[in-house]
Amino acid sequence: MAAEMKFAKTHEWIRPEADGVATVGISAYAVEALTDLVFMQLPAVGKKVKAGESFGEIESVKAVSDLYAPVSGEIVAVNTALPGQLDLLGKDPYGAGWVMKIRPDDPAEMSALLDQAAYDAVIKNASH
Amino acid sequence: MATLAAWWDGDAEGVANMALDEALGAAAERCGRPLIRFYGWSRPTVSLGAFQKLADARGIADIAAADLVRRPSGGGAIVHGSDLTYALAVPKSHPLGSTAQLLYTAAHTALATVLQERGIDARLYGDRPTDDDFFCFSRRAGGDLIATPPGREPSPADPKIMGSAQRRLAGAVIQHGSLLLRENGGVGPAARHPGVENLCPRFETQALRQLADAWLARLAAAMATSFDWEPGTFSPPPHDELRPRIAAYSDPRWLARR
Repeated sequence: MAAEMKFAKTHEWIRPEADGVATVGISAYAVEALTDLVFMQLPAVGKKVKAGESFGEIESVKAVSDLYAPVSGEIVAVNTALPGQLDLLGKDPYGAGWVMKIRPDDPAEMSALLDQAAYDAVIKNASH
Repeated sequence: MATLAAWWDGDAEGVANMALDEALGAAAERCGRPLIRFYGWSRPTVSLGAFQKLADARGIADIAAADLVRRPSGGGAIVHGSDLTYALAVPKSHPLGSTAQLLYTAAHTALATVLQERGIDARLYGDRPTDDDFFCFSRRAGGDLIATPPGREPSPADPKIMGSAQRRLAGAVIQHGSLLLRENGGVGPAARHPGVENLCPRFETQALRQLADAWLARLAAAMATSFDWEPGTFSPPPHDELRPRIAAYSDPRWLARR
């Protein structure tokens, strides 16, 4: 896992890429907790989102969960393979299971997110 | 642990019920305690799961006479009118808010115990999920409440009498559920499913409030707390008015989102 990856408390991860765009996905912990995924709604490319705003939804057998943007910016790509292959989220959550790419308005927003150790502490607390 | 606050609300139209449930979630997040409201429907209504296809609903002649509303929660379609509907909202930080299964199992286990005390052979479904039928009560998933008719051997195919589904937001979880009291009237055969009264003729629907009392006592115990009935009906505070929420659920684009 790349060292620069950051996490939101709402379980999305974000990884800056070389071209100024950042890739966003759902953490392995969250995917496992969702269980039995049945449907996913991706955002439209070009949509502007604010940090903390819902950008998509995912449905499991029991629940619909919102996906929240870890940073503000413009969505420049979505993983169109996902709705037809939801198992990618579990098989490769930090690779082929990416959800969207966003061009951050303010890269400094990344600093407010959790690093791996802090996120691990969050999920450890949630499990107790 | 904060006590569970409960309201016994009356009947309302579908969009108003959805708006109130969303407001209940916001209130649970704001006040940091679990909240539940029980309610009915002023007209026969079919509530669709958040991502069910509207065209599928329109294509079923047996429910053509019913109103349609789309829930924020997932799952299959429910024909309302012969059920006791509840919306339970807990803050995401609540011990039962961390995963979908925890709250689902807690609510259903509590009701199963209460129904067993009333002579109904109710239990949680434990087999693999079935295919996604259009109707909630034709589906089976782990934790659904099923019941064996008197004189029959228990089977995974026993009728489902309660199903629930959630909307998991950043700060709260809203769990919708329906206890089917009797077979739905006013709809065709494809939309009818047996309810508790059909399985246990001695079941007294008139004593629903007492049933809810017993259920809440057990649910609250599972939350390591107690419960209180609140006076009147649930209404959000003035700064969280319902109109925008009702407008959102009334918007044809919401109903036709898929």
